[in-house]
Amino acid sequence: MSRSIRLALGLIVALPALVRAQAIGPGFELERSGRYADAASVYFTTIRSDPTNIPALLGLERTLFVLSRVSELLPLVQNARARQPDSPALRSLELRVYAALNEPDSLEAIARRWAASAPQSEAPYREWGLALADRRMWDEARRAFLVGRRTLGGDVLAIELAELEQRVGNWEASATEWGRAVTRLPDVEPNAASQLADAPAPMHDRVARALTAPGVSVRTRRMASEVLLTWGQPNEAWAAMEPTLATTDTEAPTALRRFADLAGALTTPDGHRVRGLALARWADMMPGSSGGRARAEAVRELLDGGDKAAARRVLEAHADSNGIAQAALIHLLIADNQLDIAEERLSAPATAITADDRATLRLALARARVGRGELDRAAAALGNDSSVAAIAQRGWIDLYRGNLRNAMEAFRLAGPYALDRAAATDRTAMMALLQRIQQESSPHLGAALLTLARGDSVAAIAALRRAAARLPEQGGRLEVLLIAGQVAAQKGGDQELTAIALFDEIVRIGGEGAAPPAAELEWSRLLVRSGRSAEAIPHLEHLILTYPNSAFVPEARRVLERAKGAIPKS
Amino acid sequence: MKRRAFLKTVGAYSFASIIPSFHHSIIPSLLVPMDDAQTDHLKAYGLTYRAIQAGLKAEWLLNYRGGSFLIPDLDALRRDAALNGIRTEPVDSAMTTVRGEIEASNMDAVPLEKAPKVAVYAPPNAAPWDDAVTMALQYAGIPFTKIWDPEVMTGSLKDYDWLHLHHEDFTGQYSKFFLIYSGMSWLAEMVQRNSDTAKRLGFQTVPDLKKSVARSIHSYVGNGGFLFAMCTATETIDLALAAHDVDIAATFADGTPLDPDADAKLDWSQAFAFTGGHIETNPLVASFSDIDGHQVNGGARRQPLGAFKLFNFSAKIDPVPTMLVQNHRQVIPDFYGLTTSFNRNRLKPGVTILAEEEGAPWVKYVHGDLGKGTWTFFGGHDPEDPQHQIGDPATDLSLHPHSPGYRLILNNVLFPAAKKKELKT
Repeated sequence: MSRSIRLALGLIVALPALVRAQAIGPGFELERSGRYADAASVYFTTIRSDPTNIPALLGLERTLFVLSRVSELLPLVQNARARQPDSPALRSLELRVYAALNEPDSLEAIARRWAASAPQSEAPYREWGLALADRRMWDEARRAFLVGRRTLGGDVLAIELAELEQRVGNWEASATEWGRAVTRLPDVEPNAASQLADAPAPMHDRVARALTAPGVSVRTRRMASEVLLTWGQPNEAWAAMEPTLATTDTEAPTALRRFADLAGALTTPDGHRVRGLALARWADMMPGSSGGRARAEAVRELLDGGDKAAARRVLEAHADSNGIAQAALIHLLIADNQLDIAEERLSAPATAITADDRATLRLALARARVGRGELDRAAAALGNDSSVAAIAQRGWIDLYRGNLRNAMEAFRLAGPYALDRAAATDRTAMMALLQRIQQESSPHLGAALLTLARGDSVAAIAALRRAAARLPEQGGRLEVLLIAGQVAAQKGGDQELTAIALFDEIVRIGGEGAAPPAAELEWSRLLVRSGRSAEAIPHLEHLILTYPNSAFVPEARRVLERAKGAIPKS
Repeated sequence: MKRRAFLKTVGAYSFASIIPSFHHSIIPSLLVPMDDAQTDHLKAYGLTYRAIQAGLKAEWLLNYRGGSFLIPDLDALRRDAALNGIRTEPVDSAMTTVRGEIEASNMDAVPLEKAPKVAVYAPPNAAPWDDAVTMALQYAGIPFTKIWDPEVMTGSLKDYDWLHLHHEDFTGQYSKFFLIYSGMSWLAEMVQRNSDTAKRLGFQTVPDLKKSVARSIHSYVGNGGFLFAMCTATETIDLALAAHDVDIAATFADGTPLDPDADAKLDWSQAFAFTGGHIETNPLVASFSDIDGHQVNGGARRQPLGAFKLFNFSAKIDPVPTMLVQNHRQVIPDFYGLTTSFNRNRLKPGVTILAEEEGAPWVKYVHGDLGKGTWTFFGGHDPEDPQHQIGDPATDLSLHPHSPGYRLILNNVLFPAAKKKELKT
């Protein structure tokens, strides 16, 4: 067939629709400009020549309603319906016209007649109910839907009933109907969950109970879990979800993944925990690498959620074959302070842990040993690792043993870039302190710093003060006292007085090093923090004027501005 | 301070400054450079202000090293500068050379003598947006007094030399946030506070009160006051003045719809800077008229930000605008405000344009005289926060000590301090 013939046939087929649209085009334009009476005239003209023109009849429905002339539409719709009795659009329109005319009896009669002509169809009952609902005749609309349900059986018209109950404010009933709807039609679930998520807070408990009542379907419970997640109730959500996983079904992976994704929006520990639980279950259903990745993510989430036991269970179940899982498990054991078990697993000859992971774990283990004061075992954990990170860690071990010379040498060898920025800053600060000290060895200082590293702040303050007393005033004493003061200031409470005494001592002694301006700045900060800004101001001014070239001056100016209220708090 | 006397003074000083001064030659001085050598441009204004507040004499060296200041070399001022991180340079012997350079170039030296008394027109509560002028004053350490409608209506303005208008909507429509931010507690408080104040002061509606406040401010300037306004206060005070007998407020503000012929009834002869503007009648659009060039809340009318350039005036002939544009940068990135800029075709003849965006139909920074006083309007909200949103944290000026935009604000604070010496006849 030639192109021109195909085009001609196409035009012939499309012509009636085109002509209909063109006929009412001016009516649309008049409607848009608010000239409803003129628009209605155009539609009437169209109907006279084409009585079943549905766009024109719908145009009349809109315009005559605005003009309060709906009664003029009824004979036209009846005529059209008589010509096309099988047209659902005309049947619906007729129902709406009766509803607009406030004739519920006629409306019901027409709906039942339509239902009789289509005995298996939900449409007559749906349109009957919707026409009434549009008129805000809630009880009548509910009755219409329920008549349909009784007639057709099952949970038909659940969506319509759910939406009706929601509009009325019966959230509990709406939840029940949405449960029926998702049980029957799984594709409805996202919309149902989204609708129920809008329930006002006082109704949350009732809605949740309706969705998790005994006997509800698996799909309903899963919908409940989504709704609960949206409301920020992760534990309740998991409680709704978990029982649905007892038996495997084809929808479970999708439901779990969706649950995990929704839980990802929650930043609370419980949110992380339930996301981890969902991911772990999902990972078990997934084959190969995607399952492994999900499991690793699950462990991280469980740890973020503070559930070490669950994280460990996940890892132990899969640690034999997977290097990442083995490494994660050892990390977990170290974090749990089960250092011997961690060491044993790390030393096992046949593991899949990579060399990089092994080095990282050795460092973590060494740090954990230091935290327990086990310096020899910490050194042993590092083995013969010659990386800069291990050298830096050996420096700390030397320092805690009191061997200042070796510590300084190790820090120097490690350089300024080993490990992260915070660790590098700590090393640099310690090197600055060690440079002020002439002695090669100071077991007292090492022990004091170890006490501090182990987290016993109060004992560390006392030990640092004792160690400082053994050092010359301009040979490290002020710097060690500064550390003690900083620890005391951070500790707060009763220790603030100790901090102030220490800062006072350092400032009074003064001298060349960085300690006096640093102490004066810390002192001022402490005063500002405790609401004594007026007392801080002279200290800050003293610092700025006495040590104009100190690196602390810019920060001192900033604190001074704050103390004076010249810049906003940020 | 009276503007006419001030202008005479400046003219006289320009003439007098060619005569070697005894004062200049014997008192050691500190130069406060305002070019890129300065370590804190904004605080330098505060240092100079405090010097003249203490009764000392200072000079503003217009166009010399970015508009530097000369202050006496005293221990107290050195201490002040050191504490605030302000760079100063002793210039005893070099001053003769400096003055020679000033005489030979487009520069001038203006004496600063009387520290102006500064008032900031702002509601007593904290609005959910920052105020650039308040922050600049606080950061520089220049004291100011907050006043509001009751103080204005009881005649307190006469006690101040310089008045800054906070982001007030003088049309009384709460910046047209009433419908957009309906339900927000800060808005409810703003409405309540304004309504209560209007009732207490005997006005039927808030728009009536604001119109009256605007007229009082107009009189204050006419009697010799210095007015500085930013952001929406610029546009709305002129709208309020022009609408003295017309309802331009939406129904939510005064209970009555705005006059459909409002545009035609506006009396622009009463306004400071603008003429011929058309009112934005949509209560849902937080824009007031077509005076603003950028229309930040005007939907499709919104214009992107560019950069504005300061005019270079003749220091010896036009000292006032020269003072207002002293800066170490001539081109400054633009910043939005509820009113960002001013369309050129809405400016009254005779308004001095201090800064503009080249090639754009709008200008940024304008100045003019009214009676014995002067006014300056600066479009935009916060020079260091080009897109400041409601609820955003206030700008920390310690992070912007060289801000050229904030310098323009502080130029305005200090220029009323310029010495007025009667022209000898």
